[in-house]
Amino acid sequence: MHLAYFYRGLLLFFLVFGMAVPGLAGEPTDQIKQTTDKILSFVSDPALKAPSKTGEREKVIRQTAVERFDWEEMARRSLGRHWDQRTAEEKKEFVHLYSDLLERTYMDKVEGYSGEKVLYEGESVDGGYATVKVKIATKKNADIHVQYRLKKEGNKWLIYDVSIEGVSLVNNYRMQFNSIIIQSSYENLVKRLRDKVNQK
Amino acid sequence: MKKFDLELAVGLFIIAGIVCLGYLSIKLGKLEIVGERGYEIYGVFSNIGGLKIGSSVEIAGISVGRIKSITLNNYQAHVVLNFPKGLKIQEDAIASVKTRGLIGEKYIDITPGGSEKDIKPGGRIRETQPAIDMEELISKFVFGKI
Repeated sequence: MHLAYFYRGLLLFFLVFGMAVPGLAGEPTDQIKQTTDKILSFVSDPALKAPSKTGEREKVIRQTAVERFDWEEMARRSLGRHWDQRTAEEKKEFVHLYSDLLERTYMDKVEGYSGEKVLYEGESVDGGYATVKVKIATKKNADIHVQYRLKKEGNKWLIYDVSIEGVSLVNNYRMQFNSIIIQSSYENLVKRLRDKVNQK
Repeated sequence: MKKFDLELAVGLFIIAGIVCLGYLSIKLGKLEIVGERGYEIYGVFSNIGGLKIGSSVEIAGISVGRIKSITLNNYQAHVVLNFPKGLKIQEDAIASVKTRGLIGEKYIDITPGGSEKDIKPGGRIRETQPAIDMEELISKFVFGKI
């Protein structure tokens, strides 16, 4: 089914696992590879394969992924103009809700990994910002292009946006959040996010 | 006398026509004149899918700026956008190349960001999204089905 195929590609943006392709690998690429290889090892670990181990498996995957994403940066960018108007308390709540949403939305896709190869196609660094290009070679021989955008925090590179085939995750949520807030209210957006998270 | 009147009438008619043409040109050209008084920022895109100089830049579906110039720089598209002076573009605003309908002309859409910092004149929009290659995407779905 078309959607299943596309989603399989989507799941991998959280992973970025696989073979290293020589050349053009700098710090950002290395750090992404680290996180990816680690998550991959959990997903493929036979000791964690059993359904009874799902909770534990998801926990370690989540912990590893969390280290690589700058949730506050992503949440702030996704809220756009509406971020400033929130109180410190609301901001904290939103970041938490947002990361929950992304986790619930993409966790089972991560677990659907089935051997796709990931090729690192290069990175570019511009001061404290970097982009890492990745190509996922699916079994049907159609390639999916993913681009990570990272920001340097200390000596860690953290992801603040992911684009798949030229479509940005942050932009996607930014447009939807903006639309909901303008048509109803921020409180309504929070309610909808909560409902979505609790649904799963 | 008749001939003189006729020539006069024709002459006046032509003058009226030229005046109308001039008025129309100024009216339409006004958009360009406003643009000259604004400021410029640029963005680098991996693919602009046929975006043209003069194409519009939109925020919330309203045309607020124009594409000033497009050059190939290091095999990527270096696009200069022109905005009116009072319009601030945040540092984390995202500029994407979009299409009218699904196969119409290209334009740039900007979603405002949440950063307190604005992009200075001559500055760069870091977050850009290329034009989506619809054919390629469709072929991937089709391929996948088989």
